[in-house]
Amino acid sequence: MGQANLFFEDVKVGTTVTPLVKRPSTVQLFRFSAMTWNSHKIHYDKPYAQSEGYPDVLVQSHLHGSFLAQAVMDWAGPSARMVGFRWQNRAIACPGDVLTCAGTVVKTEMGDGCGYVECELEERNQRNQLCAPGWARVALALRTEPSK
Amino acid sequence: MAISFETVYEQIKALLGQTRTIPIGKINRLDLERFAVAVDDPNPLFFDDAFAREHGYPGALAPPLYLSSVLGWEAGPFEDSLRPDGTPNNDAMAVPIRGLRVMGGGQELEFHRPVTAGMDVVMEFSVSNAELKRGRTGPLLVVQLKKRFLTADGTPIVTCRENFIAR
Repeated sequence: MGQANLFFEDVKVGTTVTPLVKRPSTVQLFRFSAMTWNSHKIHYDKPYAQSEGYPDVLVQSHLHGSFLAQAVMDWAGPSARMVGFRWQNRAIACPGDVLTCAGTVVKTEMGDGCGYVECELEERNQRNQLCAPGWARVALALRTEPSK
Repeated sequence: MAISFETVYEQIKALLGQTRTIPIGKINRLDLERFAVAVDDPNPLFFDDAFAREHGYPGALAPPLYLSSVLGWEAGPFEDSLRPDGTPNNDAMAVPIRGLRVMGGGQELEFHRPVTAGMDVVMEFSVSNAELKRGRTGPLLVVQLKKRFLTADGTPIVTCRENFIAR
């Protein structure tokens, strides 16, 4: 978790982002809503969520995104810098679902004193439904300083 | 309750181009740590100043989605000012979508500089786009918000474009 450093030279197009498995609970949803001052009832009031047609309370949009960001930062290590990130919410998730965040490097390029890698990301549930596609751009340190 | 999508759409379109500046104030260390705990993300970059410094940061970091995930930076609103779905209808980031079902659609983020405790932050908030679409199950509104987070002296920290969907 967030300890080993990844260097730019270790990564190429096709390298996989180490999968991260998350199991959101009602307690997690409550604490995330409290922390983000999100009082939308679909996240903590099951009868209300059902009145909107959902089977249970829903994992917050931003928690899906946070899971994907966690996967990227764990994989890239503490010296990496995330410079860009996006995700889209496509399918709902509820407490008890098992969400796996994974990804693949789709682009690498040298920068000024570092290297940039871009990853396509996916968060899927235990039925392999795509809950949230995403993307990240991360600056990685170079194993060897470029000669000037 | 009959909802006129066109009416809501016109109300949201009237907000396009208006920017509200919302002072967030000094970033609180405990809030950053609690956000990481709520995500269940024990990365020591978020908790351990010495560890973060070893990796080139001035101190423990905010999780990347912290600033853009918080939905209210003010104390209120009181409960009687919440909509029936629990969302606020009169705080600084409220958009007039009363009566519609709302769901977050995702964000696109640019990180300009790391966020650490003690930074004095200001947010510029605007509705940047609104589209009325026909979905499989009826009409839906796709609203794009833009949130720019800056230091008090105007240095960009995070730029966020967020979509939400109202049905």
